[in-house]
Amino acid sequence: MNHLHDSMEPRVMDDDMLKLAVGEQGPQEEAGQLAKQEGILFKDVLSLQLDFQNILRIDNLWQFENLRKLQLDNNIIERIEGLENLTHLVWLDLSFNNIEAIEGLDTLVNLEDLSLFSNRISKIDALDALVKLQVLSLGNNQISNMMNIIYLRQFKYLRTLSLSGNPISEAEDYKMFICAYLPDLVYLDFRRISDDTKELAEAKHQYGIDELKHRESLMQARLEDEQARREELQKHKAAFVEHLNGSFLFDSMYTEDVEGKKLSYLPGVSELLEAYKDKFVIICLNIFEYGLKQHEKRKTELDTFNECVHEAIQENQEQGKHRIAKFEEKYLLSLNTIREESEVPTIEKKIMECGEDITELFNALMTLEMQLVEQLEETINLFERNIIDLVGLFIENVQSLMAQCRDLENHHHEKLLEISINTLEKNVKGELDEDLPDDVRLVSALFVDKDTIINAVGASHDIHLLKIDNREDELVTRINSWCTHLVDKIHRDETTRNRERVKEISQYVDHMQSELDNLEYGDILD
Amino acid sequence: MEVLREKVEEEEEAEREEAAERAERAEKTMRPVEVRTEEAPLTPEMLRDLEKKLSEIETPASEEPPVITKDTIDISSLPLSYKTNTPKEEHLLQVADDFSRQYSHLCPDRVPLFLYPLNECEVPKFVSTTIRPTLLPYPDLYNWDGCAQFVSDFLTMVPLPNPLRPLVKRRERALSKKYTVKPPRDLSSKFEQEQEIKKQREIRAQEQKRLREEEERLLEAEKAKPDPLHGLRVHSWVLVLSGKREVPETFFIDPLTARSYSTQDDRFLGIESIWNHKNYWINMQDCWNCCKDLVFDLGDPVRWEFMLLGTDKPKLSLTEEDDNGMNDEDDVENLGKEDEDKSFDVPHSWVEQIEISPEAFETRCPNGKKVIQYKRAKLEKWAPYLNSNGLVCRLTTYEDLEWTETLEVKEWYQNREDRLELKHINKTTGLNIDYFKPGHPQALRVHSYKSMQPEMDRVMEFYETTRVDGLMKREETATTMTEHYQGRPDFLSYRHITFGPRVKKLALKSAESNPRPIVKITERFLRNSAKPADEDVAERVFLIGEERIQLRYHCRDDHITASKREYLRRTEVDSKGNKIIMTPDMCISFEVEPMEHTKKLLYQYQDMMHLKNEEKVSRHLAWESELEVLEILKLREEEEEAHTLTVSIYDTRRNEKSKEYRETMERVMHEEQLQQVEAQLDYLAPFLAQLPPGEKLTHWQAVCLKDECLSDFKQRLIDKANLIQARFEKETQELQKKQQWYQENQVTLTPEDEDLYLSYCSQAVFRIRILEQRLNRHKELAPLKYLALEKKLYKDPRLVELLKVFA
Repeated sequence: MNHLHDSMEPRVMDDDMLKLAVGEQGPQEEAGQLAKQEGILFKDVLSLQLDFQNILRIDNLWQFENLRKLQLDNNIIERIEGLENLTHLVWLDLSFNNIEAIEGLDTLVNLEDLSLFSNRISKIDALDALVKLQVLSLGNNQISNMMNIIYLRQFKYLRTLSLSGNPISEAEDYKMFICAYLPDLVYLDFRRISDDTKELAEAKHQYGIDELKHRESLMQARLEDEQARREELQKHKAAFVEHLNGSFLFDSMYTEDVEGKKLSYLPGVSELLEAYKDKFVIICLNIFEYGLKQHEKRKTELDTFNECVHEAIQENQEQGKHRIAKFEEKYLLSLNTIREESEVPTIEKKIMECGEDITELFNALMTLEMQLVEQLEETINLFERNIIDLVGLFIENVQSLMAQCRDLENHHHEKLLEISINTLEKNVKGELDEDLPDDVRLVSALFVDKDTIINAVGASHDIHLLKIDNREDELVTRINSWCTHLVDKIHRDETTRNRERVKEISQYVDHMQSELDNLEYGDILD
Repeated sequence: MEVLREKVEEEEEAEREEAAERAERAEKTMRPVEVRTEEAPLTPEMLRDLEKKLSEIETPASEEPPVITKDTIDISSLPLSYKTNTPKEEHLLQVADDFSRQYSHLCPDRVPLFLYPLNECEVPKFVSTTIRPTLLPYPDLYNWDGCAQFVSDFLTMVPLPNPLRPLVKRRERALSKKYTVKPPRDLSSKFEQEQEIKKQREIRAQEQKRLREEEERLLEAEKAKPDPLHGLRVHSWVLVLSGKREVPETFFIDPLTARSYSTQDDRFLGIESIWNHKNYWINMQDCWNCCKDLVFDLGDPVRWEFMLLGTDKPKLSLTEEDDNGMNDEDDVENLGKEDEDKSFDVPHSWVEQIEISPEAFETRCPNGKKVIQYKRAKLEKWAPYLNSNGLVCRLTTYEDLEWTETLEVKEWYQNREDRLELKHINKTTGLNIDYFKPGHPQALRVHSYKSMQPEMDRVMEFYETTRVDGLMKREETATTMTEHYQGRPDFLSYRHITFGPRVKKLALKSAESNPRPIVKITERFLRNSAKPADEDVAERVFLIGEERIQLRYHCRDDHITASKREYLRRTEVDSKGNKIIMTPDMCISFEVEPMEHTKKLLYQYQDMMHLKNEEKVSRHLAWESELEVLEILKLREEEEEAHTLTVSIYDTRRNEKSKEYRETMERVMHEEQLQQVEAQLDYLAPFLAQLPPGEKLTHWQAVCLKDECLSDFKQRLIDKANLIQARFEKETQELQKKQQWYQENQVTLTPEDEDLYLSYCSQAVFRIRILEQRLNRHKELAPLKYLALEKKLYKDPRLVELLKVFA
């Protein structure tokens, strides 16, 4: 369809072309003069039209970061590319090009209107990011599979669709199928879909739709489930006690413990293990519950602190605003009198007064800020102490609970050792072979001598202790780092805030002062 | 106390209305009603006077003679029960007389009893029989307060002559005093508290005290001299006993003011006797401490001497009694103790059941108007629709006791089409405030003004939700107009317009065509959270004369300074004579966080152009506001002029449309009825009339009657046929004559005559044809009609029996 351009050289989207287009399409008349005078920055351009330019490759558009509307129709573009920066784009026209696949649109989350009319596209795809899509034009392409329609179901705001001129539009069921599977659609191929058609289509495809809906809802439910689980885990992680609400830790102790698994086949060990596990899990649960509680406590503490800080800042700001408002009122009056005054000495006196007012305002605002800084510092320090105390308490308690775990492990270890030695003795005496099941025979390699068995049991014990230690260390490290980060952040934020405020005040005061100076200057000129 | 007031027995209300309507019947309560007769001079006339007092207002110290709207009762139209006494009543009167005599013998010091006053027909009637409990169909009257209010509205007070020294009005004055006197000790104690709180206050307090003392002194001076009739005045009021209908405490109701009083109230000095529709009790308790120590247990024969050993005597009990009419247990007890002879039922009331028409109920006061006078204030009430401007209530307060200096006037209106509800006029400041209910065509809510002239001090408040522009309030002074808005999509919340002095034009037409020049427009906007604070204008000021536009933006959340921008939109020409479009010094801006794009002249130019347009729009809006004010003022004047009243569609009496409709319906009904009556004409009547009246018909007579009737009918049918025939023939003959005449004179006729002839012919032919048709139809129908009549006569209830026997 672009035969016209075939004869011409493909053009490159260079600066000159863009500048020309921007200049031509920019403001006109008086504003245009100004624009010419100043030049237009690409990033201020909201709309750009680049049609019939014989463009082969989209390029050099990265500066147009605020572009809302882009027309690239009637070119010879083969790939959608170079649009990543144009995240504010609402309207994109790529019709009458040579595009073969939909791609490169993943960042255009604000896109509402997309035209790919008359291209060589065979599959509707890669549009997932376009959640706001309302109008999609895909006519005169090579889409042949009806299942492409199903893909469009995810666009909740899609109201207008054109697909005529595709192989699928030849299908007998074309219209009915689309109406049935895209029930929110209002316009299809530039025609309004009547309610009758919708009803008819729905009736016709009811079975298929129901099945599809069922599948979709299942998928949705699964996603939601997963989401909920993730959130739950996230919450536990925030409390630093993830995976402690069950036998996870206990199980992990045995996953790498080859010896322990073997030993568990010894007579009496499985019962022992069962009891041990129960007790262990109970302690884990205790830690978990305690962790969540403490987390809540820390959160409340933090919230209270934030609220307090926020209030203090708000109040201080109100005072500042009030000050400024009062000053401006007075200043405006003074300015008016200065303007009307003709006596030079009086003017000078007035200006002096104004200058003093400005200084006074500056001092007042700075004093306010200093006050606030002091207040906040005190509060922050208090909070710091409190939160560190809380964390310390938490760590201490968790450690004591962990110690209980270790005790359990030690106890278990002793029992196991005893059983192992007993078994070894029996084995040595040869009493064992008869009544031991086959499994234990596998273990029999251990029962060579006392050292071996003690080593095996000891290794198992060490692994267990290591696991417990690791978990404890992890918890302590993480909470400590959290605490440090939090406190750091609070301090940093406060410093930033203070700097910002001081900057703001001096900027304002400078402005007022320079205004006054200008006035002085102007007056002298007059 | 409030709680107590809520419910009283239904009967009570009923009684109240009755009491209202009939002056003589004092008060009745299903529960005991008491009348206290405190005073001695006991001629029957006096008693009647006392009763009358209930129906007439005493106007205290009013200059003009009170308008007494006394219904002169037409005695002749009253039922017999009003004029005579039944034997039972006679007996009762006798009992009462005995009782009275015994009483005066036993208690010679006490006031004679009020037992059987004369009614409007000068017949003595026992007081209890004047009460007839009635339940009226108005929900307002179900509870005691509404009911009492109605009665008090309905009553008009008329001053009475002094029973001791005739023609003294003091006592009425004393009555009105009741409302005004403040207890002075309250004031002094307050003062003492204040004194202790602060030294500074002390001085002020002293000043206050002095003033108050002055006031008090004045009050004292205003107060009447000690009442010479104190304790001698007789009054009757209603006593509501606790128990029924959730009345937790016994209390009094003053029928004249409709207020309730605790039995502890100082102003009730004592009780002589009480009655209801069943019995009469004399108070045997000492009233040295007013009514405070009285025990209202009517079943206690030591405290309350009953006149009739009735069946309804309330239980002597410590618990709250619930004596619903009869109490069998008590009866048995009583009968056992006392002689049976003594027990005697009060006969049924001789009074007709009270009826209050909806009109009367709505009118409430006699003639629908009532004036209540207070110290330094006057309250006037009117029935709805009585005043053509919808005025229903007016409260006037005065500076002085003589009612010469008006302080303020409050007028309440109802059913006004312009929804005016209250007009408040402050006479000292000259400020008028009109309050409107929702629904004014201009959504007006409050309008306060000193003058109806435009461009004066004025405040208009609006129902902003009904206005498209969300205008809440518009304040005006001579040179400014301030408007407050709410809930607008453009977040405008405030607009202030300053006007300059009006430029005099040569071609002066009117104020409208020569609006005052606008000097300054200030507009404020609420924060639009969709925009960043630096781009969201908080205030813009158009200094129109100086060609300046000042913008102040909203403050960022964490900042204390806000961006500002000022445009000087003077168009200037540079040295080469080119127009300067935009230069950096035409825009002075302060930005909290300097932005790159706002520095651009293009941006500033576009912004300024936009603001120029906005300025135009704002000026136009200001002009429109002015016009609107004029329009509202005009509308208000028209409304005041017309003061049309609205009528609810449910108000069938006043609603003209529905009335018309109803009348038409009634007329149609009436006509239909007439037709029906006609259809049922009695054929036999003329023949029956010939027979001697009152006698039973014999068979022979019946047959004769039938035959006569039939032959008469036959004759009439024949006559009718003949008549038609005659007309037909006459018409035919005339036509023939005419035709003959035409043929003879055909040659000499003018075209007009010919036309006349032709039209006559066609008409005549038409008439003839119709007559022919009628005749044929008559011939066809006549036999049928004859048969129908015969059938009907056979079925006639008067003849059916007689004819059947031999048929």
